[in-house]
Amino acid sequence: MTDATPERDTVAIDSMAHDIYKQLTEGGNMLDVPFKTMKDVFMWAVCLGAQQGQKMPLTGKRISIFRWAQFDPQIDVPLLKAIAIAESGDVSILLRRNDILNIIEEYANAGIYELRARIFDEFGQPLWNLVSMVP
Amino acid sequence: MKLERITLENFRQYFGRQRLDFAKDKQHRVTVIHGVNGAGKTSLFLAINWCLYGEGVSNVGELISKEAIKLASSGENVEMSVELSFTHDGERYLVKRSRHGTKMFDGSIQVNSADEFIVMRILWDGQAQTIKNPIGTINAILPSNIRSYFLFDGEKIDGFAKPEAAKEVKEAIYLVFKLETLDRARGHLETAASDYRKELKTATSGELRGLLDEDEKAREELKRKEDRKAEIGIELDVARRKVADIEQRLREIQNVRFLQQQRDRIEQDLKVRRAELEDVQNQIRDITTTSYFTLVQPVIGRALHLLDEKRERGEIPSNIRRQFVEDLIAEMRCICGRPFTDGSPEHLRLLRIIDNTLPGALEDEVLDISATLRTFNGRAHRQRDDLTIHMKRRAELVDLIKDLDAEADDIGRRLKDSPLEEVSRLELQRQSFLADIDRYNTDTGSLARDIDSLKERISQLEKRIGQARKNEKKEKLLGIKFDLAQRAADAIKDMYQTYADDMRLRIEAKTKEIFKLLIWKDSHFQDVRLSPDFDLEVIDRYGRPARPELSAGERQVLSLSFITAMSRISEEEAPLVMDTPFGRLSSQPRNNITKFLPDLADQLVLLVTDEELRDQARANLEPRIGREYRLQFDSKTSCTRIEEVR
Repeated sequence: MTDATPERDTVAIDSMAHDIYKQLTEGGNMLDVPFKTMKDVFMWAVCLGAQQGQKMPLTGKRISIFRWAQFDPQIDVPLLKAIAIAESGDVSILLRRNDILNIIEEYANAGIYELRARIFDEFGQPLWNLVSMVP
Repeated sequence: MKLERITLENFRQYFGRQRLDFAKDKQHRVTVIHGVNGAGKTSLFLAINWCLYGEGVSNVGELISKEAIKLASSGENVEMSVELSFTHDGERYLVKRSRHGTKMFDGSIQVNSADEFIVMRILWDGQAQTIKNPIGTINAILPSNIRSYFLFDGEKIDGFAKPEAAKEVKEAIYLVFKLETLDRARGHLETAASDYRKELKTATSGELRGLLDEDEKAREELKRKEDRKAEIGIELDVARRKVADIEQRLREIQNVRFLQQQRDRIEQDLKVRRAELEDVQNQIRDITTTSYFTLVQPVIGRALHLLDEKRERGEIPSNIRRQFVEDLIAEMRCICGRPFTDGSPEHLRLLRIIDNTLPGALEDEVLDISATLRTFNGRAHRQRDDLTIHMKRRAELVDLIKDLDAEADDIGRRLKDSPLEEVSRLELQRQSFLADIDRYNTDTGSLARDIDSLKERISQLEKRIGQARKNEKKEKLLGIKFDLAQRAADAIKDMYQTYADDMRLRIEAKTKEIFKLLIWKDSHFQDVRLSPDFDLEVIDRYGRPARPELSAGERQVLSLSFITAMSRISEEEAPLVMDTPFGRLSSQPRNNITKFLPDLADQLVLLVTDEELRDQARANLEPRIGREYRLQFDSKTSCTRIEEVR
């Protein structure tokens, strides 16, 4: 990443994972569709990927699903930066948003499939399955 | 077009400036220009063609006068030009075409760039107005491709009468009568129709109809579902009212009133508890969906460890801002207030901190993130505690609701088993209505889902129909264009055929009329025909085609008859300029032609040898000659001088 590259403002996912994001956010019943926003789904996916140390490059078409500004500056942004520091071992990555985004998007791309499996493929209602994932 | 005057300057053997006026009044419309062979008749004929149409009129060779070149000095400019004035449709025009050359040291001429060509229209007040599109104007007056039928070479005059000339005859009629334009229009329209047909084949078809059918069915289905949902809504209200009525009746019956009142309290309690359960579940959802950070406590720990390591190595200040350290050094005072000296361990340590500090923005980031990350552990504990509390409350509420449901069931059972028949019947009815309400609710939910799904499907169909409509519009437009182009092409084809046949018959009649006037054996030749295949044929007294047996002179008369017939029928106002027209004719046909030809052309210019025009022929033309010239060739200079005879 060079200084000349403009800073990205949007967060992208692989188009193949887009349906999972919709499945987890679209619908009225909170017990079956636990998430309110795609941002929260993305954060869960990032954290699951980082927890398990699994990353997956985005190889398909990239879809922007929300803007960087939607991340909570008190929780999400420091958390994502911590993940990026831990991954890169480089403190200066804090000033390189595009590098941070590349790392977390790859974690989310791996974590989203794990999240879907744990929520929908296991016995029980999706919300309680999600609750059971909180350590 | 009626020619007025021609002025030649250094054109071929016409050295210097020389002028010739054409006869143009009705009675004296003939201009005769005499010249022996090689005197310059063909050059004069060429000058008219070149002036109007430029290069390409024929193989013109060198146009600039050799005498003018000879007399010019090396490097001197030599100008050659032809000016022509004429009238057309009441307007007067001046045309000038000129060419410039520079004489080279070896005596040759270097022609400078392209010819200059100007056409001017003389306005009513005598002012000359330059025409911006001179070529277009000349072509509009006498098109280049038909000029050879009006300005023609006597050597070629018998061309139309040759047995193989059907193509030329057809072409002449095409050009003079603008049939070419119609034919071209038909060709273009047929090409357009063919292109549209191909495009139509690739355009979508039938898709819209299918989509509209699908849309109609989906909308009918939606209406049925919505109607059913509305009906169920009414039935639901009725059932609820019935339950309310029954409960009211049970409150009125002395022996069971207390049971119904107890059930009322339970129902009210259930309502409150269920609302609370919903609220608690919402809070659980909010806590859980934002508890992702609890998964990565070890990762946060690793990040903090990395930050701490760097700080321990002095790469990151431990919450000490660069400005603060710089202030301490400036004051030579330790953070504890004790002064230190230059080069002391304290001084050196502070200097090292300054050297290792990060750039401002990164320093801010590092300090902020370090501080925030350290709060995550406590935040995770609080999040878990909140979740535990809410989950516990949810479990309590679920139990409470179960108990209340059981109590309500018990009351229901007691009422149903009541020895009072009315009470038992009422409770049974109540339970039946409650079952109906459950069913109605289920059906409503199912219908609502179907309705949502149908609405989504209709929305998708609308998009596809919109696209298909665009395609169909294009398809329809293409269809209209195709139909229009094909019908126009067919109409033009019919029109063309009718017009061509009409022209052919009129030319045939006129050619016959003129031929009979001009030919000397009029009793031998009975008829002239122009067949649908444009074969120009002469029929003899025996009713047989006689063209193969025509003499050169007779062929010339036939051709001339055809040309003048075209000129008469086309009503083109154009002069007949004939170069050496009577060379092959014996005296009798020559006499006939000279007798009648002046009346067959608006203006006649004859470039002749003395032998061509003498005795009776000359006498015939005499009263119609308006202007007469002689081309005097000087063998010493090889130049020609135009001498006015009359």
